[in-house]
Amino acid sequence: MSDKVHVTLTVNGRSVDADVEPRVHLADFLRHDLGLTGTHVGCEQGACGNCTVISDGVALKSCLTLAVQADGSEIETVESLATGDQLSPLQQAFKDAHALQCGYCTPGFLMTITALERRGGALSREELRGELAGVICRCTGYETIIEAAEDHLAEVAARG
Amino acid sequence: MKAAPFAYVRPSSVAEAVTALAEHEGMARVLAGGQSLVPMLNMRLMRPTAVVDVNRIPGLDTVAIGPEGGSIGSLTRYSTLEASADIAAHLALLTTVTRHIGDRQVRNRGTIGGSLAQADPVGEMPLACLALGASVLVQSVSGTREVPVHELLLGPYWTSLEPDELIVEVRFPTAPSLFAFSEVTRRHNDFAVLAVAVTATRTGEGFTGVRLAASGVEATAILAEDASAVLEGTSLSDAEIAAAVEATVDVADPSDDVRASAEYRVHLLRVHVRRALERLRDGGDRV
Ligand SMILES: Cc1cc2nc3c(=O)[nH]c(=O)nc-3n(C[C@H](O)[C@H](O)[C@H](O)COP(=O)(O)OP(=O)(O)OC[C@H]3O[C@@H](n4cnc5c(N)ncnc54)[C@H](O)[C@@H]3O)c2cc1C
Ligand code: FES
Ligand code: FES
Repeated sequence: MSDKVHVTLTVNGRSVDADVEPRVHLADFLRHDLGLTGTHVGCEQGACGNCTVISDGVALKSCLTLAVQADGSEIETVESLATGDQLSPLQQAFKDAHALQCGYCTPGFLMTITALERRGGALSREELRGELAGVICRCTGYETIIEAAEDHLAEVAARG
Repeated sequence: MKAAPFAYVRPSSVAEAVTALAEHEGMARVLAGGQSLVPMLNMRLMRPTAVVDVNRIPGLDTVAIGPEGGSIGSLTRYSTLEASADIAAHLALLTTVTRHIGDRQVRNRGTIGGSLAQADPVGEMPLACLALGASVLVQSVSGTREVPVHELLLGPYWTSLEPDELIVEVRFPTAPSLFAFSEVTRRHNDFAVLAVAVTATRTGEGFTGVRLAASGVEATAILAEDASAVLEGTSLSDAEIAAAVEATVDVADPSDDVRASAEYRVHLLRVHVRRALERLRDGGDRV
């Protein structure tokens, strides 16, 4: 009754073929089947946002998407950001602003902000806080995360 | 936790979807945005034999809204509603309430049809659709029928949909020109403790077609019809508003829950019905 389903998708630019059980969510598929453990799982109920990835340009919580639903999609995870040991500008902004302590929430924030950056448009600090409200951090108190996001988005806007 | 096993069906038309639902004899669930269903699957609060994924059905997310109302496809995501210029121009209450739902990730996935079928007692979308006099077009293998939202919502997470029925679109009559929305949450974008939505049209000195809906004070969002009658044609004077507040309290029967006590809910209801009506009198909210 729960026969495996064949899926073909792109993950971080690499094409992936797999047979998945329908009940497996995308976060588990990325972590367990593909070994991409940068996507973190905190709650599996949509509450923490630590599992946020980008699917066809849209930020979503990968614990609330079934892996079979990603068939034909282009998925981007936190592993797509750095080039070898070279941090991406957004990751560097996090480092500079001390926007992480334990780092558990960081992949979720980085992917949420990456989608936001591509959407473009200026945001007030309040609007930015609203856009990032889907990810929960238990360490930082958010202030430095908002700062890092603000610095990074300002730099992107300045570069044009 | 991990979901129990289920079969996965991905129909490419509404006809295929309702056929799949009928074949599973009430044991299949529609998967739209998944923002309520997948948590329930992961927690094993629900163990359907099959999940019917409607996300690839073409045309199910069409927005056709103009000055005379119109329709919104059931698969339309909150983020799409939020960004739609037509909806902001003609159904501004919807734009406003959408911004109070969940977070960006949830709004990128959650759908209008899913939220009506989910019938969360404090969901913003059922409340707004009730205030706007919307109805849903539902389809099954036996045909289609149109159900007004006030007949759809039966209780918490409980609707008059049959298990083999699919909401295809949500239909809206011409919206009154004015609205006001007032909500209490414990945290930014959390589920509401209580919310009030009111719509009306100003005709000369008076207000007509007043519709007042409230959630968080009953098993489901309610329309306060007596309050509407009290206000019809009036200028919403302080005395008239006070009478409408009491008429609303009369039809409310809240219970205690983790978010608030029944007594506190009645207090909040008085405050927020009054505020919403005062704002309506002052020209209503803007998107
Ligand atoms: C972190 C978080 C915060 C949230 N905050 C809020 C909030 O503040 N306010 C709020 O209102 N909601 C909130 N939600 C819930 C969200 O609005 C859901 O998206 C919504 O309730 C269900 O819509 P969906 O498209 O995701 O439906 P799904 O989860 O796919 O389905 C929900 C139910 O509806 C059925 N269904 C779906 N589509 C149809 C259809 N077309 N016809 C018939 N049945 C159908 C499914 O079978 C299922 O039983 C939140 C969710 C999360 C995860
Ligand atoms: S693990 Fe997905 S939101 Fe918490
Ligand atoms: S840095 Fe520890 S949870 Fe955010």
